[in-house]
Amino acid sequence: MFNRSRRNLACWFTLSMGSILVLFAVTTYYLRAEDKLEATDRLLYRKTRLMAASVEYELSEGKPQVDLERVPVLGSGTLPLGTELAYVRWYSSGAQLKRFFGEPPSQPLEISSGFRTVRSSDRSSEPLSDNTARNNAEKVWLRQLTLPVQEGNELIGYLQVATPLSDIRADLRQFQLALTLTMLVTLVLIGLTGWYLGGVAMQPIKQTYNQLQRFTADASHELRSPLSASLTNAQVALMLAAECPQIQPSLQNIIDSTQSMNVLVNNLLMLARYKGGLTPDLLKPVNLNLLVSESAASYQAQFDAQKIRFIICIPEQSIEVQADSDLLKQAVDNLLSNACKYTEEGETVWLRLGAYANWATVQVVDMGMGISKKDLIHIFDRFYRTDTGRVRGGDGFGLGLSIVEQVVEAHGGRVWATSVEHKGSTFQIELPIRSRLQS
Amino acid sequence: MKVLLVEDDRRQLMPLQTVLCQAGHTVDGVSDGETAQWLLSERDYDLLILDWMLPHVSGVQLCEHYRASGKTAPVLMITAKDTTLDKVTGLDAGADDYIVKPIDIVEFMARVRALGRRSPICQGDSLSLHNLYLHLDMLTVERQGKVSPLSSREFQLLEYFMRHPQQVLTRDQIEQAVWEWGSEIESNAITVLVRKLRKRLQVVGAAAWVETIYGMGYRLSPPDKTDI
Repeated sequence: MFNRSRRNLACWFTLSMGSILVLFAVTTYYLRAEDKLEATDRLLYRKTRLMAASVEYELSEGKPQVDLERVPVLGSGTLPLGTELAYVRWYSSGAQLKRFFGEPPSQPLEISSGFRTVRSSDRSSEPLSDNTARNNAEKVWLRQLTLPVQEGNELIGYLQVATPLSDIRADLRQFQLALTLTMLVTLVLIGLTGWYLGGVAMQPIKQTYNQLQRFTADASHELRSPLSASLTNAQVALMLAAECPQIQPSLQNIIDSTQSMNVLVNNLLMLARYKGGLTPDLLKPVNLNLLVSESAASYQAQFDAQKIRFIICIPEQSIEVQADSDLLKQAVDNLLSNACKYTEEGETVWLRLGAYANWATVQVVDMGMGISKKDLIHIFDRFYRTDTGRVRGGDGFGLGLSIVEQVVEAHGGRVWATSVEHKGSTFQIELPIRSRLQS
Repeated sequence: MKVLLVEDDRRQLMPLQTVLCQAGHTVDGVSDGETAQWLLSERDYDLLILDWMLPHVSGVQLCEHYRASGKTAPVLMITAKDTTLDKVTGLDAGADDYIVKPIDIVEFMARVRALGRRSPICQGDSLSLHNLYLHLDMLTVERQGKVSPLSSREFQLLEYFMRHPQQVLTRDQIEQAVWEWGSEIESNAITVLVRKLRKRLQVVGAAAWVETIYGMGYRLSPPDKTDI
């Protein structure tokens, strides 16, 4: 039980710390990418400006003439700019491609000056990329700058320059790899820390649990011993007082009170002891058909005595659950005992056992007085009793249904009740059926 | 039967002792494990009733020691612990039965009777030797349709005789079996008790069964078949 909680704690710790870490890593990666792109853009802009500055423009014969001879890369005799460029293109002011270097454009210029990231389609004609061979089949990401070139106030053309992003991408890929590896190592470390911290956190819980176990063991002894002494003494006194009829009722009262006190002690100890799940070694395969019919048989006489029709529906197919049979029987008994208490003569009580894909259900339906809406939400509370005057015998402590709920929940199941006042109530226990493979 | 009752709570010990005596048993009631251990080494018992939680030596330890010494009398364990694990521990220590506090006296006596029936000469709730029947529940002796009531001590003496037929029982043995440990008895108490028992047996025509072996003690020996 503790290991499961510890595991859960460690998992949640890893998950939450891991999410923060991933968020942090993603942000770092994004910021770095931004930074790199900005540097590239700056460089590209500088180069483009340099090229634009070398464009010579003159008016001859009334027409503007653009001389690109001196522009680096585009020009004939000029030296390349040194660093790699995917292409350089010159468009006239009418968006007509006039001259290009590198890859020819696949479509006419869209006049959108500024930076854009594009993908080049054909890499075979890419002479400037250093990893052409590798990227032959792939498309390559390019950063493209379109700069309108002006002379005075007049637009003379557009200069479009693109540089491959492969360097940045390689750099970022490396960064990503480093980040991923660091994250994996850190996650493992976080997991281990979580496991350790979980263990530390479990210590006080474990102590409290052990204390509770010790307390219930001690309480069981300390409460039962005086009860036992009272009961035995009163019973012996009753035997010895055969000749004194006037003190017999008093002794009988002591015996009855002691016995009902004992029932209360047993119920309280049960509630204290089985809080939380049951350890798997206490669970054994239990045949529900058998258990339910045993419970039914033990209550048959009581129903008969009260002239209540008791209808038992148990399917032939055998239904097996992992359970502590004594506890489960107590739960079913409590439901039947309640049905006995709250059902009038001549009415009917059904006990049904059913099985679904993953659930077994035990249903106790009565046509008794029902429970009001106000009470219905509290009936599983400890010591909660509806109007006691209506309870036959009135000997309950209001713990019966709490025990049912606790027992069923300790088995990983649930219990619920529906009721219509003056019409009757339905109580249903649902227990998980675990296949043998899982258990 | 000779019963050792060990229970540390005197309020619990007293009524149990009373009711066992009423049922015709000789009861040594002690409230701590050490005294119980000493008594077990000194005397023989037909039934042990042990509380689990005892000061010094626990009931389970007592039971284990007792079984380890090779003795076979039935052991009834009394405890406030009611979990399955506790029951298993108790029974594995050598206990024959287990009763959870609070002790319901009716159930308690039923269990004591059930354990008493384990004796081979037992038939239902009576001991028998030839045609002499000792009814354990009613404290009466019966032979050939005739019945005689017995006092508590007479019953205990006859029961002791019937559980050890044909054996010479010394005065010391009889004193141990019939009187509680620590009780001061008159020097002629055993002689008087045997005389009283003979008188009771006279009613059912079996006074001669109790023989006096001079210088040794007494013996219960049924007459030969031809005499019956």
